Amino acid sequence: MVFSSLAFLYGFLPLFVILYYATNVPNIRNFTLLLFSYFFYAWGEPFWVLLLAFSSVIDFANGLLIERFRGTWKAKAILASSIIVNFGMLAAFKYGGFLYDNFNALIPLPFNRPVVDLPLGISFYTFQTVSYTIDVYRNTFRPQRNFTTFLMYVSMFPQLVAGPIVRYNEIESQLGQRQINWDQIWSGINRFAFGLFKKVFVANATGSLVVKYLDNPSSDLTSPDAWIGLTLFSIQLYFDFSGYSDMAIGLGRMFGFEFPENFKHPYAAISVADFYRRWHISLGKFFRDYVYIPLGGNRKMQDRNIFVVWALTGLWHGASWNFVIWGVYFGVFMILEKYAMFILKKTPRLLKHFYTLLLIIFSRSIFYYVDFEQLKRFWSKLFSGNYTISQGMSIDLLNHVFLLSLAIILCVPWDELFPRMESRVRPIYRWISLPLVLVMIAASTVLLVGETYNPFIYFRF
Amino acid sequence: MRTTTFYSVISFALCLAIPTIMMLNKSESVSVDEKRVLATWPEFSWVTYQNGSYGAAVDAYFDDHLPGRTSILHFADRVKYYWGAHPNVPERTVYIKPKKESADTAQMQFLDDFNQSYSGNMLIIEGAVYTQNCGSPGMSPSFARMLNEYSTKLKGHARVFSCVAPLSSAFIPVEKYQSYRGRNKATLDAIRDNLNGPNFCDVLGELTVHQDEKLFYGTDHHWTARGAYYGYVAFCKSAGLTPVPLEQMERREKSGFLGSLYSLTRDASVREHPDLFEYFKPNISATAVRFTESDLRRPIKSSVFCDGFNGPSCYMTFICGDAPLVKISTGVKNGRKAAVVKNSMGNAFSVYLISHYEEIWVFDFRYSKHVMLDIIRAEKINDLIFALGMYGAMSSGTINMMRKLGEGGIGMPPKAPENSLRTDSISTILGNDSTLSKSTSMEQALDTNTFKIDSTQFSKRTQ
Repeated sequence: MVFSSLAFLYGFLPLFVILYYATNVPNIRNFTLLLFSYFFYAWGEPFWVLLLAFSSVIDFANGLLIERFRGTWKAKAILASSIIVNFGMLAAFKYGGFLYDNFNALIPLPFNRPVVDLPLGISFYTFQTVSYTIDVYRNTFRPQRNFTTFLMYVSMFPQLVAGPIVRYNEIESQLGQRQINWDQIWSGINRFAFGLFKKVFVANATGSLVVKYLDNPSSDLTSPDAWIGLTLFSIQLYFDFSGYSDMAIGLGRMFGFEFPENFKHPYAAISVADFYRRWHISLGKFFRDYVYIPLGGNRKMQDRNIFVVWALTGLWHGASWNFVIWGVYFGVFMILEKYAMFILKKTPRLLKHFYTLLLIIFSRSIFYYVDFEQLKRFWSKLFSGNYTISQGMSIDLLNHVFLLSLAIILCVPWDELFPRMESRVRPIYRWISLPLVLVMIAASTVLLVGETYNPFIYFRF
Repeated sequence: MRTTTFYSVISFALCLAIPTIMMLNKSESVSVDEKRVLATWPEFSWVTYQNGSYGAAVDAYFDDHLPGRTSILHFADRVKYYWGAHPNVPERTVYIKPKKESADTAQMQFLDDFNQSYSGNMLIIEGAVYTQNCGSPGMSPSFARMLNEYSTKLKGHARVFSCVAPLSSAFIPVEKYQSYRGRNKATLDAIRDNLNGPNFCDVLGELTVHQDEKLFYGTDHHWTARGAYYGYVAFCKSAGLTPVPLEQMERREKSGFLGSLYSLTRDASVREHPDLFEYFKPNISATAVRFTESDLRRPIKSSVFCDGFNGPSCYMTFICGDAPLVKISTGVKNGRKAAVVKNSMGNAFSVYLISHYEEIWVFDFRYSKHVMLDIIRAEKINDLIFALGMYGAMSSGTINMMRKLGEGGIGMPPKAPENSLRTDSISTILGNDSTLSKSTSMEQALDTNTFKIDSTQFSKRTQ
């Protein structure tokens, strides 16, 4: 099930709200959330519920065992087994075909390519459970002893399939008794409505143009068309993914959870490093805490560490070489930026912003095309030397000019530019928030009617 | 602050609850705008649940049964229109995603092979939709070769004619798109140049002479009755016949025609420019029967004109829509017979032939599994006319279907529109389930007053 569907908005969500708030007994609320989360997950892929449950059981048990054998070699062995099982699952279900293709290219394998559909959200919940076990081993917190609560933590439907990756310590205190007040609920509704609007109104609409220009680069595609197409894809990707994160955070807040932020106006970044402090923050933190720092961080072989982290970040996004190259591309620029910091410091802010956007937008081509032949063909258009904007593109831009302007406005970090603005706007917002939320929900509903299944882009990761 | 937020939350909850509650009421079962049957609540089974199709079907139900859905759809079209500016740009493009699977047979029936060929950019100029597809000269030799083969096989039996209609892109009323006509022409010229035996009808030439008239619909992918008439004139010139002037035919019209291109684009400006559907009835008595995809033994009553179709189904007025095979018998007792191989564009064309032939056999190459060559020989048919929209001559798949038709065609997936499917769809489009159930035949449909079949000849026969 997806948030941006009428079945969710007008079926699942109202029913869940009624049952969740029918009682204020924490355990019953948790159980309700657990049941609905499994139902949510099982909607399209019932079989993979077993995998989700298996992953949860393994790490619940491992957490308790690590606690029991803390300080002994057994705790280390249990941690290792947890990592092997979780990443083994990821390797089998997400990277099985990819590994087969690569090994088979080197040495022909005596069996056929495994055909496995990618279980929804596996990259997200696997990282969540692994982080839990590692943190228990590191003694960051005590393991959860209530099985239902742990199952609920792993499977919470608001953030189950596309993040943010919520670490256990970030919501540990909220898993038992939760304090919920009307302000918090209303703030959650606002955030959810905004996320839905971003996804349906901006991302889906921009997506239809992206498909037109990027899916099948025609012979008429000029260089500016290709660049604009990539820019549109950048807008789509941001509004799609951040829209989902907003909805997840909003839903969490509606039910008493405070999930970590996942985006902070990434397109306002002034360097690649800055960009990834603002984009998919929860994934960046995961790699920082569980890969980069253990490898030595900035104390030992920093360049290698950055390179490894970014190759893995690329691979996390998909079982294909283009994602690895995409990750390495950013790794290389991170390292270059490190050495060229003295130049960046002297460069005007606007120029740095332009440089960052250029790199980000270009990187989207590597991200978009899994097929290298298609990527090559697209690059030939990107640098074709035909610098006139096509008639079709100019008409399309004009026909979407208000929508794209809105998208650009929403990309601007107004709160960073005008820090005092929030305190002035807040009293006004209080009065306009209800009509605004209703307009956003209504507009999204209107655009969802008659649309086919429109999953979030990050679902496939 | 608390009080405000409390009321905000409650107001929001109520706003969300109203559509939810209203959804429980029975709503429309057909979307006329989208030309499809709306989803019904699926029956639960473990098999459908496990393969995910149950969830997908429930999603579809929610999508299809939001209260006021049709108005919401129209409003959505308007919202999309206001995403951008449209000043001084009378034209814009809409991108239609190619359909990978045509699971919806009800929609497939209406859009036929057109939808397969016409995905991509659609140009909208002042509420009229034009495809930016303008032909494929590379496929023309293959199409001509297929016609040549028929000509060889029928030597001494029947003449073969190529009457391929151009695409609407040939007549975009904006100067900068004039080149599109050139490509249409190149495609048709390439057919002509590769014909060896068959006769070529210069349909584009004849249409060009009358380009100031309404030749193609703005909301539908078909040519108008007027456009088809000029196609018929081109055929007459090629066949040595004298075309009957339009003035000698009975003119009728229906308003509010929103056809397939509106369904595809769902564009607000297109909806505001519905077509006037005019058609012309030759002053000749004629009756028609239709056959299922391969059975000649059980003819089903039909009609040359089905005047009862209205709204989005107007184009089904001509020979009552697509059928695997239609046989028209006329009052012209000259012993001459014609066979027409067509896609839906040929429907509007075929009706004019009743002034010249005693019998006309209309084969839909997408659905028919009749052995056409046997019928031509057995019935001593004089002329075999390929009257189709150019999109049918632009793919090896459709050309192959026409080739196979001679030996008993292969048909087009999904299942051919047999009686049950056709009448079911007709009934659902008309929203008259009680008179046209799945089991009713076309014959019953035509006898039903609800249908208002008032073709003079047909009425006489049934009386």
